[in-house]
Amino acid sequence: MSKRNVLLQVARRGGSFLSLAKKLWQHPKGRVGLILVSLLVLVAVLAPVLAPYDPYDVTQRAEKGLRPSLKHPLGTTITTGQDIFSMLIYGTRVSLMIGVSTGIILAFLGALMGVMAGYIGGFVDNLIMRVVDVLLVIPTLPLIIVLTGLLGRSYFVIVLVFVLFGWTGLARVIRSLVLVLKNSNYVKAAELAGASRWYIMTKHILPGTSHLIIMNTTLTCAGIMVAEAGLSFLGLGDPTAISWGKMLAEAQGGGALLFGAWWWILAPGAGIFLAVFSFMRIGIVMEEIFNPRMKASSGIYKLFKHLNNDYLDEVFDSMDDEEIADPPDHAGPAVLEGGHD
Amino acid sequence: MKRSYVIKRILYAVFIFFVVLTLNFFIPRIGVSDPAERYYPPQGAMSEIEYEIIKQFTREQYGFDVSTFQQYIRYVRGLMHFDLGTSLQPGSPKVTALIGQRLPWTLVLSVTTLLISLSIGLLFGTLAAWKRGRWQDTLLLNASTISVALPAFFIALMLSFYLGFELELFPAYTNPNMVGQFDWSWEAIQVVLNNAALPIMSMALGGIVGYSQTTRNSVIAVTNEDFVITARAKGLSHTTVLYKHVLRNALLPLSTSIGMSISGLIGGAIIIEQVFNWQGMGTLFLEANSTKDYPLMMGIMLFLSAFAILANLVTELFYVILDPRVTVGDKR
Amino acid sequence: MPKGRRAFVVWLALAVGTAMLLAGCQKIDYPCRIDPTNTLYVGVVQSSFPCAFMPWLSRDGVAPTIASMVYTTLFSYDDDTGEFEPSLAKEWCYVDADGMPIVTESGRIDYDRLEVDGVKTLVNPQNGRTEQYLTVRIELDPRARWSDGEPLTAEDVYYTLDVARNNYLSNHAGALAWTADLLHLYSNSGELQLQGIFTYNHGADEHGYRIDEAKRDQVVYLHVRGVLGAVTSLFTTVLILPEHIWQPIVSRASQLNCRNPDADMQYLYQHPVGCGPYVLDVDGSGSSQIVLKRNDHYHLTKEDSSPLYNVETIRLILYQELNVAIYAVMQGHIDMLDAGLSPNYVRLFEGRDDLFVSNAEGTYVQALVLNVNPVDSERTPMRSLLADRTVRQAIALAVDTDMLIRLVANGAAVPMSAGLIRESLTDFYNPHADILSGDQSTKLQHANELLDHVLPDKDEQGYRLLDGERVSFSILGHPGEIELISFLEIQLQKIGIEIRYQAKGSSPETTYLYTSRFDMTIQGVIFSLANVDIMLNAHFVALGRTSNYGRLVQDDLAADIEEMRSTLNLHRKYELLYNLQPLIAEQYYKIPLYSSEIVSIARQDRYTGYEVVPGATVFNTTNLQQIQRIDGSQSTSASSADPTVGSVAAAREE
Repeated sequence: MSKRNVLLQVARRGGSFLSLAKKLWQHPKGRVGLILVSLLVLVAVLAPVLAPYDPYDVTQRAEKGLRPSLKHPLGTTITTGQDIFSMLIYGTRVSLMIGVSTGIILAFLGALMGVMAGYIGGFVDNLIMRVVDVLLVIPTLPLIIVLTGLLGRSYFVIVLVFVLFGWTGLARVIRSLVLVLKNSNYVKAAELAGASRWYIMTKHILPGTSHLIIMNTTLTCAGIMVAEAGLSFLGLGDPTAISWGKMLAEAQGGGALLFGAWWWILAPGAGIFLAVFSFMRIGIVMEEIFNPRMKASSGIYKLFKHLNNDYLDEVFDSMDDEEIADPPDHAGPAVLEGGHD
Repeated sequence: MKRSYVIKRILYAVFIFFVVLTLNFFIPRIGVSDPAERYYPPQGAMSEIEYEIIKQFTREQYGFDVSTFQQYIRYVRGLMHFDLGTSLQPGSPKVTALIGQRLPWTLVLSVTTLLISLSIGLLFGTLAAWKRGRWQDTLLLNASTISVALPAFFIALMLSFYLGFELELFPAYTNPNMVGQFDWSWEAIQVVLNNAALPIMSMALGGIVGYSQTTRNSVIAVTNEDFVITARAKGLSHTTVLYKHVLRNALLPLSTSIGMSISGLIGGAIIIEQVFNWQGMGTLFLEANSTKDYPLMMGIMLFLSAFAILANLVTELFYVILDPRVTVGDKR
Repeated sequence: MPKGRRAFVVWLALAVGTAMLLAGCQKIDYPCRIDPTNTLYVGVVQSSFPCAFMPWLSRDGVAPTIASMVYTTLFSYDDDTGEFEPSLAKEWCYVDADGMPIVTESGRIDYDRLEVDGVKTLVNPQNGRTEQYLTVRIELDPRARWSDGEPLTAEDVYYTLDVARNNYLSNHAGALAWTADLLHLYSNSGELQLQGIFTYNHGADEHGYRIDEAKRDQVVYLHVRGVLGAVTSLFTTVLILPEHIWQPIVSRASQLNCRNPDADMQYLYQHPVGCGPYVLDVDGSGSSQIVLKRNDHYHLTKEDSSPLYNVETIRLILYQELNVAIYAVMQGHIDMLDAGLSPNYVRLFEGRDDLFVSNAEGTYVQALVLNVNPVDSERTPMRSLLADRTVRQAIALAVDTDMLIRLVANGAAVPMSAGLIRESLTDFYNPHADILSGDQSTKLQHANELLDHVLPDKDEQGYRLLDGERVSFSILGHPGEIELISFLEIQLQKIGIEIRYQAKGSSPETTYLYTSRFDMTIQGVIFSLANVDIMLNAHFVALGRTSNYGRLVQDDLAADIEEMRSTLNLHRKYELLYNLQPLIAEQYYKIPLYSSEIVSIARQDRYTGYEVVPGATVFNTTNLQQIQRIDGSQSTSASSADPTVGSVAAAREE
């Protein structure tokens, strides 16, 4: 099967969200992920109901630095006397909101850039790719630190910076796919029929990339959640909000290690882990569903390569007219000419 | 033909550098009408008139008395002499000097982590690839998911707590005298290793899993290539196949990922350095941020960007050199 | 499968790795645990240590502490009595027109005569105005020496004050040395326009100031502005510099306060020479450690001629994080921590007899500042409410300081009178100014009554309405104050006013200073006898980028403050200060919340005899002068040379 066919299969795999969800449910690992994600969403939405205390309400503060007990399952903070268990529950809101909203914005922006670059080509393509190159080179974390210093510490700034930097990954991947789709028969037919660029891009190309977008977005959300935790840990998030990263920072700064209050550190860490893990599970499983030929492992691989998306370029480079039993996730150009020693 | 490609890539890298440079110049100017405002000392009990005079002096000292364009030219000219500016710290040390002081310490962490992750990763990766589908492989897969979901700084905190505070195996926080008293003696090196152990462990865990995964995928991919199948069909032993064909080809794409890691090497350690109080570039940057020392902050950022550009360039050229079969047309 | 070779590589890698880990996995002995000498290990929490010490320049961090130990001032100020204690100078007095001291029979300053005999006038050449001035005579201690052995002379004082006033050479370093009340004026191009410092070699005779031949190196005459507070900063905050070291180097090209110092100036910055009790050990100091050695030439001693300061060597160790430093003290890596701790940590130290916990009275008070008088462009309807004194009074009454002390400061704080002068200054404290204490429910009732007249309408949640809109203010603060502001929120809710937290923004210049772009903010306020002249003016009178952010403009109050500042009669001055407190309190402009205690810790296994000093951490001059090193002084040199012996000795000690 040629590379093109493989990709077109990926692109054409149809189904609406519902069928997607159904497929996820049928997959054993997917089921776990789906359950976890829904659990998290429930916790986030029902936070005021589930949390025994309202951590934002100062009248509900208890004695500082209490150890875990029946009244306070995870004890209270040393710095302010807030109930840690309640903070954990409320922290879900921030993580999910930032992760999902940034993921969705990135999905739009990345896809848009990718499609434009791939389909329109020429100057636009060049421009976008150069911008990508520049953005990749600037160190992200220091820049975020500088920008929060300049623009103020709020989640808006953090989302803004994530969006500024994060679209490059998706854009490159989509672009590669679009380059292939561009030459497919039905697109060519539409061009001949005189359809406008935008029409083709929205009606033909975009849907073809939709599954790649969804897949990538899920994994991106997971990555964003980790990144947001890191930023809140450094103190760059909204100081009035309650997030897991900030809980970790407070724990460290408030001397949790000195007081031996390990639960204060473990709890938000477990929260971060659960949230990220569940999203990643779904992402990996989605990948397996969309292309059973690509093994689940490639998803993680993509996440690790978040800064370097050359691999897909090379994948497609290398798949020219080769009969391959299993499409390689990553094969160097060494394979191009059939390789010999 | 190759030479023109090389030259093209170098020129392109220089172009990117200039774009980054310009961005670097303009970033501290965001959000303020008068960038010199950031450098004025507090007025205290000075009279208005005296304060105006001090402001004018400050503007002259920091070069804000000329137009923005001239400031830009000065900035670029300074960079030609590798002058990244002067820090606002008392004593006005040069940014380059400060970076030079702290860079080796970050490299101690980063390079060691890289080496450890790479070597162990290669081994585990090859193992997982060879035992594809069996428990070693699945273990790797799960480990990958877990290591991404567990942020490195969380691992760092837990390690610092258990191995540092509770068991006192390693110091929970870096000894502040480590830098000043370093004299290349065996004791000093021991102290450094002792303090570096926990940070390296926190970072290496993720790195090992990452490189294992990459190696595994790359090895699997290559193993399925025609030429490998041919080699096996020819009856060559597994060893030969592994070392002569598979690994060599599998390593090529790996080098790309190494290249990227190197550029993220320094900037990526910021949080870990902060957790352990390690006196490297990361903590230098955070200090500069807390004192609003913009020359130092932007100097570090420019340095990191330049480093990344260089690392990319070297990796790309390396790639070209390594594999003579690569057709050096323009990338699609 | 090439098991053999692969396995070999695996084992090799593991072996190397383990070897490295084991190599690092040693329990390192910290020097403090094994150091037998009279060396005090002090932890300092900072982001970095300075390596250069520009005179007068640094205001934050550890640099001013070090500068004040290496250099010293003419006198030191006793905050409780208002007297100047001798330091580099022995005695001082005002002199009259004939050059005779204005003193009573007992030798003390005769303030009653001062107004009559002491005041003279001159014309200020810079603005043409006529100004009143006083002449001050200072006599230096002849025993005072610089750390390089040279004696301190009047020329050093002349040089110091002269260069402080000469911006041409000092690049405004003088502004930070607070010499504004010295009438010795230079033009911007470095020309002396008005001389105000006189020594034997600098025109004392010509101006009619007699100096005996025997005392030619010890006497200095100064012309200061005709207010009592003029001498305070000159005597107690200006660090005297050695002329013989600075004069050859300082020039227009190489100014005293130089951002790009050349090699010579760098050398001077890095090797400070002063007359203080300690000397900087440049070789032993580095980026994470500063070593100070006791100055053997220091002229002040105890009565039995033994050194005034008991501690021979001080090692300041840098910690970038507070918890790290606390951990270090608890483990014995350092002797004490020069930092104020949050009261949350006190629990950690319970039951530890080896730790001395100092709960010192704090000197500054957290105050809620209201924007009383914004500039026209920032005048919103809400803020115009704050211009109404009744509203401010209600807000002040609603604040429950007991709750704040209990829940925010964990009990480690005391309330402060609304007159903003602390009770411990018994001679000056006016109890009538304490109008905000009392039963909280009574206060609340009163507050609500007051507001019912002004803002009778309320919405469903109980918040008052101004023209149909909920009365809501934002408090500018930084993240550390969020907890405090949350409590204020619920307290002010009880009188129907809504409060929100608002982040301070990246620079005060753009958020509130001088721009009045705020409703309320939290400010730390210190009023002590030494600074009361400058501070009262800055907080309640002067507009501009000073502490009067709310731009309180009250002519009567301003006139009283000005009179207090300018009167030459000390008794009258203190009387006015006494009367000012109720006036300030009734403005309800800066509402005191609480004054935190300073909690700090020190170990008692190497030194004993710590004392709690108000306003200071355990690292203060009193302790440095009196703590005793346990188990004698230096032991044999062998133990300090051989680390293994040292650790054995340390193990035996524990």
